[in-house]
Amino acid sequence: MALDAFFFIRVLIFPGFTFILFFTMFCDWVERKIEARMQNRVGPAVAGPHGILQPLADFMKLLTKEDIVPLDAKQILFKVSPIISFSVLVFAMSLLPIDGSSAIPDASFSGDLIFIMALVTIANFLLFLSGWASSNPYGSIGATRVLTQFLGYDIPLMILALGPAFLAGSLSIAGIAAGQFLPFIVLAPWAFVLFVITLQAELEKDPFDIPHADSEVVGGLETEYCGGKLAFLHLTRDVQIVFGAALVVELFLGGPYGPVFFGVPEFWYTLWFVLKLLVVVVISEYLTTLFARLRIDQVVTANWKILLPLSLAAFALTVALGVWVYPMLV
Amino acid sequence: MSNTAIDIVDILQTKFKDTLVQVQPAQLGKATVLANSSTHRDVLKVLLEADERTAVSAITGIDLITTIGVFYHIRTAKGGIITIKTEVPKEGPRINTISDLIPGAAFHEMEVADLLGVVFVGNPSSGRLVLPDNWPDDVFPLRKDAKLDNLKMKDAPSGETEPSGETNTVKIIVGPQHPALLEPEKFALKVEGEIVKGVEPRIGYVHRGVEKAAESRTYLQDVYLVERICGICNTCHASCFVETVEKILKTEVPPRAKYIRTILLELNRLHSHLLTLGHAGLEIGYETLFQYFWRDREPIMDITEIITGNRVISSSLTVGGVRSDINETDIPKIKTMLANLRKRLPFYKRIYADEPSLKMRMRNVGTLKRADALALCIVGPTARGSGVDIDVRKDEPYEAYGEIPFKVITRDSGDTWARMNVRMDEVEESINIIEYALDHLPTGPFRVRAPRVVPAGEAVNRVEAPRGELFYYVKSNGTAYPERVKVRTPTFANIPAFLKTAIGGNIADVPANFVSLDPCFSCTDR
Repeated sequence: MALDAFFFIRVLIFPGFTFILFFTMFCDWVERKIEARMQNRVGPAVAGPHGILQPLADFMKLLTKEDIVPLDAKQILFKVSPIISFSVLVFAMSLLPIDGSSAIPDASFSGDLIFIMALVTIANFLLFLSGWASSNPYGSIGATRVLTQFLGYDIPLMILALGPAFLAGSLSIAGIAAGQFLPFIVLAPWAFVLFVITLQAELEKDPFDIPHADSEVVGGLETEYCGGKLAFLHLTRDVQIVFGAALVVELFLGGPYGPVFFGVPEFWYTLWFVLKLLVVVVISEYLTTLFARLRIDQVVTANWKILLPLSLAAFALTVALGVWVYPMLV
Repeated sequence: MSNTAIDIVDILQTKFKDTLVQVQPAQLGKATVLANSSTHRDVLKVLLEADERTAVSAITGIDLITTIGVFYHIRTAKGGIITIKTEVPKEGPRINTISDLIPGAAFHEMEVADLLGVVFVGNPSSGRLVLPDNWPDDVFPLRKDAKLDNLKMKDAPSGETEPSGETNTVKIIVGPQHPALLEPEKFALKVEGEIVKGVEPRIGYVHRGVEKAAESRTYLQDVYLVERICGICNTCHASCFVETVEKILKTEVPPRAKYIRTILLELNRLHSHLLTLGHAGLEIGYETLFQYFWRDREPIMDITEIITGNRVISSSLTVGGVRSDINETDIPKIKTMLANLRKRLPFYKRIYADEPSLKMRMRNVGTLKRADALALCIVGPTARGSGVDIDVRKDEPYEAYGEIPFKVITRDSGDTWARMNVRMDEVEESINIIEYALDHLPTGPFRVRAPRVVPAGEAVNRVEAPRGELFYYVKSNGTAYPERVKVRTPTFANIPAFLKTAIGGNIADVPANFVSLDPCFSCTDR
């Protein structure tokens, strides 16, 4: 790949870093607004029209705050892990085909689904380290909960992601997105439902938001963080949510490809991608408002005893239908 | 109801006929028993044998100038209070504990030990409960001769000590500042993995010395002082206090005032129950439930404002009646608001009865068995959730409760879910009571003039506050200032339930379990 202006514009502005950053903040606003309306509240209303600039305002405010590092904390780990975690997630995001191809040109290779999932695990592990490094009991407990949860839920998530990969006959995300003659939500709805539930746990949202149970572990891994580092932790979490939704879009909703398509293809690809992603965000937020938080042992039990066998069964069903039934439809 | 009570007094009189123990019927509740620092246990044993539901309502410590009085207010099942009076010398006050007979007394004894310096021989807990760690050893605030100026504080012990010897145990401090506690108290949890192995309570972080302050204010001022003990159940405190004073004064309150007080008390209950039903949602991460409940709680505060002019602290009660009448033109408005709330109730009831994630967090969490609830002297919805049907409104009707039909709600499972569902159903009962009271509001005056100076005497009184039985003991010395005001709040009585049920549970269950007691530390720390 050539390091020219085109490369930098794609990586840094659109559909790369800047786009991902502001889109993340927009999704955050959508989430907050929807949650507020469902809870009979107003939600963000001051910064910008209908409070649309509130996530940006929050981010800026945190950046201006005093940044304190506890003396007991593991200094380097405590300082760098939020930023590295954020960077890894944005990097993973820029490997997804957003406007038809990924933000980093020609980055797609066969098997990048596995690679991207590994990146997310690394980002999660860095989050764990950031809590662990803060030398605070609440931080440590919150961090351990993150670890317990994502280690468990990564397995069914991976298994469920293999279903679409099998149907499309490709392990690359671009290949899976392009290989959906019918969105896989139609061909394998069971896998979609399970994937969204598992993702809810991966993203630590209700009913699985135990690492953020403020009545039990105060701020969880964020307890000792403030200022700019807290801003990045919040941003990491928001990017995580967008990334999770993007994964659903690529695997089950046909990626950036949509029914209406003329003129500039990049415009339509982006539009479909964004619209689909917002639908997933709304579904996820709907689940969040609907449930109470489960307990950690219930979450772990739900993973190993329910979701893991179910996801295996879903995968088997997908494979069976993919081998014997769906070829007849084409 | 009264048969059992007379029986108990009879039993006491026959049992202690030729001993030093004197039984005086119809004093301080149903009867007063004069005992000494060892025979009080015999009296309690007789009471416990007579009825399994006998429990300690409160233990009052009082400085009698030459001696220190320790009064045990024992609640007999349905028959009201029997007071066992003992006196101990001022120098080296020692008395045998009753906590081996009834474990719930231990907590009450600790408070008396702290504030009056009485040593309860055999009490299992050591250390302080209310006073700070650096409080001097020889100053007891509730003694009349306590010199509270220029206190010389001790050196405070250095921080928290890690449990020694138990390598797998981690001490997790919940409080004094913690998001699960809206008010400052401390509970040190000993945790192994995610399982709680022990709880050490420490209260008193916002202790305001209301009992002491009440002694230097007139009765009229005290009404507004005790009202400020708790922001939520303020009318309950005011009502309990004025009723106690009215008992000493032998003032008969006009019926209209009784009904208005009943309405205000039930508005308090609605306010409190809706608040805690929502707050429980917050503790288990069910934010939507919290937002919904708190929205529907707003009209209750509006109704309080319509009636009294104040949204929270109503300041509407006074000795001899209430300070303002209900305007007849407001009644239809109030009824409409209550009807609107009633329409929302089936939805909430369905959520508390059926919502799966809520049930997963509340079923079989913090289970308090009926026997434990009785032994620990638990009160209010917490006891009713364990199948103990105590409710002062029915057991010893005050104000207009004797004339208004309502049900006492109980559940048998004793877990967090049962306690919350008791409250859920009580919301509906409260609406019924208010509507009935509004329909049957008697005409006539809403207050009578009561003298400012109260003749010498003493009285006890109980009110069913939203969190359970609220207990007041007032002693008058014939002036405009009370000699002693003892307040035992329901949360204080219910903390042992948390200490009992948290052990063996998951640490994630601690907030849900705790909030199901509807704790109010503002009450606990008077």
